[in-house]
Amino acid sequence: MKQIQNCKSLAIGLTALFALTLPVQASASFEDDKDKDKKEDEVEPVAEKDKDQYFLVHNADIYTGTGTVLRSASLLSKNGKIVKIGYDIEAPGRDYFKGIPEAEREFRLRSLDAQGMRVYPGIVAINSSGLPGTNGDFRDSVDPFSENMVLGLSTGITTTGVGRSAVKLKRYVSYEEPLPYDFDGIVLSDKTYASLSWTTSSSRRDAREKMSAARDYLNAYRTWQEEVKKDKELAEPEKKGVDSTYLEVLTGETYARFRAADRASLLGIARFAQEFGFRPIIIGCREGWIVADELGRAGAMAIVTARERRDKDERLSAEGGSSIENAAILTKAGVQVAIIPGSNGVDLGGIAGQDIMHLPVEVGFAIRGGLSEELAMASISTVPARMMGISDRVGTLEVGKDCDLIVTDGDLLHYQTFVQYTVVDGQLVYDKEEELYFAHIRPRPEKEIAPEEALDAGENPPETKKVEEEEEEDEEGDDEDKPKDKEEGDDDK
Amino acid sequence: MSFPLRPLNSAQLVLASVEKVWKGIALGFGATLLASAANAGNGATDEVPSGGKFALHCDKALLCELDGEQTLDHAVLLVNDGRIEAIGRSSELSVPAEYKQLDVGSSWIMPGLIDLHSHVGGLRGYNDMVFQVNPGLRVSTTARPGNRNLVRPLAAGITTILFIPGSGTNIGGQGVLMKTIDGGFEDVLVRDPGSLKVAQGDNPKRWGYGMQRTLMNHHIRYSLRQGKAYAQRWEAFERGEGAEAPERHINLDVYRDLNAQKISISTHTQYFQVVLATLRILRMEFGFPVFIDHGSFDSWLLGGIAEEIGVPAILGPREVMWPTSPTRFPQDGRAEGSAWGFQKMGVKLIGFNTDAPVIPQEELPLQSAMGVRYGFDNSDMAAVRGVTIVPAVVCGQGEKIGSLEVGKEADLVVLTGDPSDPRTSVQLVFVDGELAYNAEDSEVRSW
Repeated sequence: MKQIQNCKSLAIGLTALFALTLPVQASASFEDDKDKDKKEDEVEPVAEKDKDQYFLVHNADIYTGTGTVLRSASLLSKNGKIVKIGYDIEAPGRDYFKGIPEAEREFRLRSLDAQGMRVYPGIVAINSSGLPGTNGDFRDSVDPFSENMVLGLSTGITTTGVGRSAVKLKRYVSYEEPLPYDFDGIVLSDKTYASLSWTTSSSRRDAREKMSAARDYLNAYRTWQEEVKKDKELAEPEKKGVDSTYLEVLTGETYARFRAADRASLLGIARFAQEFGFRPIIIGCREGWIVADELGRAGAMAIVTARERRDKDERLSAEGGSSIENAAILTKAGVQVAIIPGSNGVDLGGIAGQDIMHLPVEVGFAIRGGLSEELAMASISTVPARMMGISDRVGTLEVGKDCDLIVTDGDLLHYQTFVQYTVVDGQLVYDKEEELYFAHIRPRPEKEIAPEEALDAGENPPETKKVEEEEEEDEEGDDEDKPKDKEEGDDDK
Repeated sequence: MSFPLRPLNSAQLVLASVEKVWKGIALGFGATLLASAANAGNGATDEVPSGGKFALHCDKALLCELDGEQTLDHAVLLVNDGRIEAIGRSSELSVPAEYKQLDVGSSWIMPGLIDLHSHVGGLRGYNDMVFQVNPGLRVSTTARPGNRNLVRPLAAGITTILFIPGSGTNIGGQGVLMKTIDGGFEDVLVRDPGSLKVAQGDNPKRWGYGMQRTLMNHHIRYSLRQGKAYAQRWEAFERGEGAEAPERHINLDVYRDLNAQKISISTHTQYFQVVLATLRILRMEFGFPVFIDHGSFDSWLLGGIAEEIGVPAILGPREVMWPTSPTRFPQDGRAEGSAWGFQKMGVKLIGFNTDAPVIPQEELPLQSAMGVRYGFDNSDMAAVRGVTIVPAVVCGQGEKIGSLEVGKEADLVVLTGDPSDPRTSVQLVFVDGELAYNAEDSEVRSW
């Protein structure tokens, strides 16, 4: 990829030699600093700039998801990636767009005044049903015009697990957009997990046998890797009969996911995982609160429904059943928790508050059980992103990551809050006022997306100060995958 | 029956350790509460009172009166023998020396929540479907105080429910108003009959050969006409008209209460056509006290008529109508909240119900939150009143429960904030001045 970029800049350089006569004074202030340094004396030709798309949201309280909140700050993305977060960020000025027809400028730069609103990372739903259109394999079933996709985006969900894939909710806003669907940027991963069964004695035996075979092969392979350096003739160990899924789990390429609820199964999975040295993800995990320490020690992660209900079996003296405190107790023991509602599809039957459209409500119930607000937010952003192995792209708002964000009219976890705008890859894909669904509910005061405003400001582009916050963000970005605090990631105790 | 003694297995050992940890945390929490109480300097201790005379100090009291001020900051509330004796500002209301005192710090106090559409007062057997109309059946005979389906609701602050028969027939029978605490039937009884349950929606269609609206409404009208005539005969006799008492029909006795306006008809009715039949037949034709129970979908379009003829709206379990099936609900694609609609049409008494177990009983406050989410104006705390004073008034108990007013039963909830917010947790619940739930009693909360 880097090579391609180098080629590109070479091409730009060559083109620039022949294009010096173009009447363009590019203001480089909006580009990222590296580029600025690189081509200090270059005048970027229209032909190249033409492809760049900018999105600026300003005046917002930005909840980056890294523990930082920036008040009345701005965020700028270029071609779908966040390039700046902080203060005094300017979008490209009018001069930049010289030579581009007025009508097109709107697509080159969107500027959103989000005064009084909050910006959060787009929600990552670890699992959902039907959001991309219909159920089934994503590539075969996605419908970029579907109502479900719009309603998913209206909830603030920008990324979701669909089967084994992690995909973005990429919607066609207009029917004029080009087909076919570009899957490259939309499918973030096709191997988010490997499904293992721990429900019956035979499935447990099966899992153990396959895992043993995979481990044996892996050990043999690694030994061979060393030995073959000395003896080039040495034959590679046979891979026959080894389940590649289990190999992927052991090599850390993907996470093993189990569905388990009761104490005994959870303990069994924890022991199994420790024995073979992998981190299990457990869906359900209803009695996790009883064996939280064991799960924490095994490095387990959990996908829970905060409102899961099961009465304790009163005939048994041992603890049992569900607890509203499940998510909180698990996280205290070092188990990372992602939250999904009891019904993971869009329910249009009118029973509100139970389905994927009310994911923040489900999270609210985890908070009722003692989960901190910060970890609650993580349970629908960073944690699921990590579980699906896509946290390098989504889950937080950091420079270099995808510009997937939501703009809300208040605290995301409050029942009255609506998502006002949803942005995926730096493109506005949902605007509450533009859809029939919720526009009539507490309508937004007149303040619309105003690309012209930003363009006017550019006639005399103000000097852009260097953004210090950006570097701060970068630093935080480096250790993204490491635990942020003791509660969240202390899984080795 | 005896259980053989066994050595502890690993899971039980684990439990023991978990228990220790949680005891530690609970102790820590207790200490914090104690510290905050000591800081307040009002003579409060950390001991949670129960029964007798006590005073509760709090940062905010949600009064939930039908009109007027809705909150009182830095309040103190005096309870004497199960009733609210006084309520006022801490600085203005002095607490007599013999009262036990508890300062709940930054927590809020509100009246116990009330649900007028619930089926969890007993465990089963409340939906008899042998006959199509059953005005004589009493669901109180299946009530089971303190059953396992009432444990979480009590922990959620729901103290009173209207336990009603199912909607498998057009007249399911008589509901019972009961409290959610454990005890004998008389201990939990608020009023029996609590209501007459009429179902006009689609559920009774499952009866017999499959009825349609015309036959269902015919049977309802038939029973109501019989009942009305029966009640009028008795009223005439009680006025001294006629020497001989009318023949007693226990199947029709409930209509005497209805005709005397002592109870209401709680109507399982949901969308426009059905609610229209509710208003026309039950209210306009027979003049019985009626409330919409289970109101949903596009029924709000009838809000204007309902308000005019005095029919309150209790809404749920569907709080919003989605633009899904245009043949049935022709709308333009908007998500329309039921409460939003009724409010827009000028209905004064709007409440929320769960239809538990359709929506779990403990999620009653979430029903009000969903009402607000989908457009219900909550600026005057209408959502909280919709689960307290409004249902109290609608079921004829407005003088006894539903708000923090002097003389009312001391059904009190101590909680961490806005009751509609799922994030809010309930700490203490009092019913008739007795402590009914204390979150600290169990190491791990179920709800």
